[in-house]
Amino acid sequence: MYIQGNAKEQNSYDAIVVGSGISGGWAAKELAEKGLKVLMLDRGRHIEHVSGYETAMKESWEFPHRGRVDLKTKEEYWAGVRTGYTANEEHRHHFEKDIDHPYEEKRRFDWIRGYHTGGRSLMWGRQSYRWNERDFTANLEEGVGVDWPIRYKDLAPWYAYVEKFAGISGNKDGLDVLPDSDFQPGMELNCVEKELKKAVEGKMAGRHVIIGRVAHLTAPTAEQTALGRGSCQYRNRCMRGCPYGAYFSTQSATLPAANKTGNLTLINDKIVYEVIFDDEKKKATGVRAIDQNTKEVIEYYGKIVFLNAGAVNSAWIMMQSKSKTHPNGLGNASDQLGRNVMDHHLAVGASGTYEGFEDMYYFGRRPNGIYIPRFTNWGSDKRDFLRGFGYQGGASRGRGTKTELEFGADFKSAMTQVGPWGIGIQGFGETLPDPNNRMTLTDKKDQWGLPIIEFDAAWGDNEWKMRETMMTEAANMLEAAGVKNISTYHDKEKSPGIGIHEMGTARMGRDPKTSVLNPNNQVWGAENVFVTDGAAMVSSSCVNPSLTYMALTARAADFAVQELKRMNM
Amino acid sequence: MMGGAISAPSLVAMLQGCSTGPSAGSPFVLSADYQTLVAELAEVIIPKTDTPGAKEAQVGSIIEVMLKDCYSSLQQEHFLKGLEDVEVESKKIGGKFVDLTADQKVEVVKIMVQKAKDESVQNEEKAKQVDTESGLTKEEQKKKDEVEVPVPFFRILKELTLFGYFTSEPGATQALDFVPIPGRYEGCMKMEPGQKAYAL
Repeated sequence: MYIQGNAKEQNSYDAIVVGSGISGGWAAKELAEKGLKVLMLDRGRHIEHVSGYETAMKESWEFPHRGRVDLKTKEEYWAGVRTGYTANEEHRHHFEKDIDHPYEEKRRFDWIRGYHTGGRSLMWGRQSYRWNERDFTANLEEGVGVDWPIRYKDLAPWYAYVEKFAGISGNKDGLDVLPDSDFQPGMELNCVEKELKKAVEGKMAGRHVIIGRVAHLTAPTAEQTALGRGSCQYRNRCMRGCPYGAYFSTQSATLPAANKTGNLTLINDKIVYEVIFDDEKKKATGVRAIDQNTKEVIEYYGKIVFLNAGAVNSAWIMMQSKSKTHPNGLGNASDQLGRNVMDHHLAVGASGTYEGFEDMYYFGRRPNGIYIPRFTNWGSDKRDFLRGFGYQGGASRGRGTKTELEFGADFKSAMTQVGPWGIGIQGFGETLPDPNNRMTLTDKKDQWGLPIIEFDAAWGDNEWKMRETMMTEAANMLEAAGVKNISTYHDKEKSPGIGIHEMGTARMGRDPKTSVLNPNNQVWGAENVFVTDGAAMVSSSCVNPSLTYMALTARAADFAVQELKRMNM
Repeated sequence: MMGGAISAPSLVAMLQGCSTGPSAGSPFVLSADYQTLVAELAEVIIPKTDTPGAKEAQVGSIIEVMLKDCYSSLQQEHFLKGLEDVEVESKKIGGKFVDLTADQKVEVVKIMVQKAKDESVQNEEKAKQVDTESGLTKEEQKKKDEVEVPVPFFRILKELTLFGYFTSEPGATQALDFVPIPGRYEGCMKMEPGQKAYAL
């Protein structure tokens, strides 16, 4: 069915933003604040801030399975259950049923999606770290992939810009491996974490234990308060949506800011599958979308297009955008579109118990943990693999003390007591770009007649070598702090995608022969199309990527508006 | 990764989740008698003290819901066999489980505890045996064939009783320290006497 109900003018805007997640929200806000009439399209339903968070104030007994995954859900969320937490009952409705959005796996890929206003900004881990200078030069120095066309100094002012608006809680740690952000006050470590910090920093040169840096407000600015955002209430129920707007999401931050300008139109339920390219004008004129409910095909027109559909779906749209000028997909003269899929490899680390501080506890459910920044291949440290990894983790006390009893009043009493201290750290490792790690379109179609994606990717030799070290060093550090009953783990089944940090499918570069995007995130040969989500990434660093997407997006939006003013588009 | 950093103990709790394997055949239902029996057994595990017991927390019904929706038919059948066995043991010392005295109920539950321990030992021994054809241990072979070994009756009863109780309103709010909106975080706090673990 092809209907073009509205006159072309009615569907025309200055800018179209595809996707409303972390980077799409930023694109919409920046472009609207600079005076452009912006259309933001999302393929999923609308979720209204606060009133749309249906489980935010529910307690455990209000869930039919008290939060756990039932067998029907296991079938519906066949990929989602692989994470071990995304399909849980409290926030499952924020993730897609995989049976409704199938994909193929030549090699296993754990693809976790959230199609609605705000995208995965509603459920993200909120850990926010700047990249360091060498993250941008390592590819060049080591001859891996292609060189980043920008350096840390190009992004540093944009990091500061987005941090002030988003609100990042953390401490100024003064580490060159992890440059400080513009912070709100950091959260506190608990007693055992402080002990780990003391032991590791005292005994192991070059290693640091810090509080995680998170996009949670701990001292809201006037700008944040004016948007209706408040301080973190330490409930740790973030993935359900925050009724206080305390963590950064599209709904809490960029959407209300964009709405304030009066320049934003948000339209839901529109699956953009193609960028419309004019071979004569040599530029994009808009996008083609299908309504997820009515299956009506609609075109929207704009002077510029920002693709922020998420790394995989932005590449998916570009692959379907074929024209005389771009016969292999938009900007794909290099054949790099859909290749170099990266993520962070995890599910490897160590845990144990801590004896001591028996009379100490904590108050509140801190939605954050400790962070141990990269120390391998840094300074004088040299390893048999490239790059490095960071650890996330924390210490806490469980419920219930050890008892030989199996039932009865004394057993019950023991089960209600504050349990022993447990501590664990999990590695997050850098993944190298590999052109053989890729996604392609199959001949199979989804319920909208759109091509189903096939993934063909796996961790490489460098990642496997690194994982052995991630495991042993985790145990070494816990041991240094006197942790008892240390056990290590290394899950070899979890596959690319599991970090939910998909990157690299339309990488930036200096040369259209080897990259898809130019140094300003413009598509080579379609310069009024910008891609500023994870697709743009040239390497992956080992730190969580969202803060970098925010900075890249704000930088590209600024450039786009300057170019529009110069009439270059 | 979403959900931020996760400490090891909570990670383990999450991974436990529900057991694997699809449910087949007729839906799992407990008869009225068995519903009463499960509620009574749960009350023996978590009795009413100065805080509510399992019955008041309606732990029996959540056990039934969890078994029905989250466990394989093999596990469900194993659970029903366990209930049958409880009645067999009860008859030996007086009658139906619900009609026994408190001390007699404890006697029967002790027997079930022992049976679960014996069953676990047997399962472990079986798993260690090496299959002469494949050269794999039974455990490795089972993992390969995805053969499920059901959890012994008392173990799953106890696990679901604790889970159901501490996630119930009476259990979470009265037997534990329930703080729905902490409002602040304090990392190192001296425990007050009588401090209970936090409800999550």
